[in-house]
Amino acid sequence: MTERGARTAGLLTSQAILKAHHRREALKTALVHGALILACAVCVYPLLRILAVSLRPGDRIISTDLSIIPQGATMVSYARVFAETHFLFWLWNSLVITVATSLVGVALASTAAYAFSRFKFPGQRLGLSLLLGTQMLPAGMLILPLFLMIMRLKLMNTYLGMVIAYSVSSLPFSIWILKGYFDTIPRSLEEAALVDGTSVFGAFYRIVLPLSTPALAIAFLFNFTQAWNEYLVARVILTDSYKYTWTLGLFDLQGQYLTQWGMFAAASLLVTIPVMAVFLYSSKWLLTGMTLGGVKG
Amino acid sequence: MLAPVLQVLQFALLIAAAVAVLEGWLHYHFTRWEKSWFLPAGVLGTVTLVMAGAAASAGGLVDPGRMLSLGMGTAAAECLVALFFKHVVRGRHSLPIMLLAPAALGLGLLIAYPLVFEVYLAFHDLKLTTIMAWSRTGELPFVGLKHFKKVFTSSPLSEVSFWQLFLRTVWWTFINVFFHVAGGFVMALLLNSVTRGKGLYRMLLIVPWAMPQVVAVLAMRGEFHSQYGFVNVMLAKLAAWLPFLGDLGVGPVQWLGQHPFLTCTIINVWLGIPFMAVVILGGLQSISRHYYDAASLDGASAFQQFRMITLPLIRPVLAPAVTLGTVWTFNNINVIYLVTGQAGGTEDADILVSALYKAAFAFYRYSYSAAFALIVFLILFTFSMVWLKWSKGTESHYD
Repeated sequence: MTERGARTAGLLTSQAILKAHHRREALKTALVHGALILACAVCVYPLLRILAVSLRPGDRIISTDLSIIPQGATMVSYARVFAETHFLFWLWNSLVITVATSLVGVALASTAAYAFSRFKFPGQRLGLSLLLGTQMLPAGMLILPLFLMIMRLKLMNTYLGMVIAYSVSSLPFSIWILKGYFDTIPRSLEEAALVDGTSVFGAFYRIVLPLSTPALAIAFLFNFTQAWNEYLVARVILTDSYKYTWTLGLFDLQGQYLTQWGMFAAASLLVTIPVMAVFLYSSKWLLTGMTLGGVKG
Repeated sequence: MLAPVLQVLQFALLIAAAVAVLEGWLHYHFTRWEKSWFLPAGVLGTVTLVMAGAAASAGGLVDPGRMLSLGMGTAAAECLVALFFKHVVRGRHSLPIMLLAPAALGLGLLIAYPLVFEVYLAFHDLKLTTIMAWSRTGELPFVGLKHFKKVFTSSPLSEVSFWQLFLRTVWWTFINVFFHVAGGFVMALLLNSVTRGKGLYRMLLIVPWAMPQVVAVLAMRGEFHSQYGFVNVMLAKLAAWLPFLGDLGVGPVQWLGQHPFLTCTIINVWLGIPFMAVVILGGLQSISRHYYDAASLDGASAFQQFRMITLPLIRPVLAPAVTLGTVWTFNNINVIYLVTGQAGGTEDADILVSALYKAAFAFYRYSYSAAFALIVFLILFTFSMVWLKWSKGTESHYD
């Protein structure tokens, strides 16, 4: 009897301990979630504020109001962006420059990366280290000579000038990513194709490139985001408001008068949403590519 | 709408033509080197190509004297190149070289040549008053080391000195990377410990990184506006709700006017944490649960587990991310320029690279900024070498 009593008591205390343990765990989980929600708020709130400002009616653009959907919300700012600024020109310019840059960048990078991945030739190691070395150049160091070259070639305010200035800036990184990926494709596939009578270039074009679609997509995306979001070079080369990329246009909208905040916010949101959608969709691969390049470096 | 399309097409054709000429030229040198007519035909062809290219880029207006010297120079260079291909290369390695050539040419013309040009500029005198003459004649007065001396003796902008910029850069880099890694660790540990809603949290947390940087920085800059920005509105409300805080000096601050460096730092920390968090989270997820189970059986505390298991095992992921982050932070013109770069902006937040940009394009001191750029390059290069040596040294310690 006493033995049984002791056992029940033991059971009871262990249950109590378990309960306390559960309660502590629940508290801990709640705290963690609380902290995460706070962090998320800090991360997302500025974006919501852009939304808020973009929806404000004209007479209340400047205000200390903190609500996300302001009183009397309208889409007037969006309409004004299209009517009163060169916003569509800016988007079109950015798109043309960015697509051209990315295509040139990926084309150049893929052949170069294939050479580095599959062949042994004198200067190979030196070439790879030089590629890494370009990443150590201070930002902005090359803007001045590029600006002067483009000025002498009379390419200021042209797409060609911008593409020339942008085209190689992401090349070293793209070559590293693609080389890393090509290294993982077994050579036997190309050898089989060669036996079947393709040329070396044919093997590259028909076998290696199609197999590397994910890596090519990463490289393209990387080139694309770099050029799409670039500001400093564009500021120097483009002076005509019709030729602006959207980054220049937004900077001028935000800088000049407080009354243009509504338009700035509306334009920002219109640019940000597609970019973020692509980024969130692809961030996993982008990150893998980056760390891959980093670790192999 | 048609003109831009034509411009793009023209551009595509230009690139294709350039690549075709380059590859054709290389192909000739790799496959015909045994022929007896290799040298004369090569010289003739190359000179024709270069002359045609020069005439086309000058728009038909050519100076005969210059064309003659260009032709002679090309002929001499092509002789040497052809002899090199005939006697040294002998058709070997043709494929990799031809695959590499377009990229190598692009990098050579747009990275190597500008670097050489920058060195030339640093030793000559190009400024707003000489730039018109230069664009006509292409000649500049030689001034030797004058600009290099001036970098250390006079201000790169209007007030701040080189050494102030240097120290501020070191401090900026250190404090930003520190908060990125610390904040990233906290985020990643929090994220790693939840089971529900992880994907959603992760998606929301990388918003600052996913936003285009120009939008993110400009939006944050608006939030630091002295009257209407979120930060000051909140501070004012806080001081109104809790008067004793107001008495302690809590209240609206002139962020952009009086504390530009602090503002830039806060914005950049906000921008940089998500990247580190995602990198570290990836590392954390690759660490096997078993280590922690074994350690807690042995009675290790949470802190001990973090120090003895998490830190060493995450090092291979963290080290390259920190290296990248350091170089990015050192090179971060964007945040500082977008926050303080407006006309009449302050210099109190500038670091070396942003001062470099402003010296060239706000103060128009071209040669001066070229010399300045070379000095900054030396600093970054030295740092990178030391860092690589050091991190290699510690790596072997763990292997």
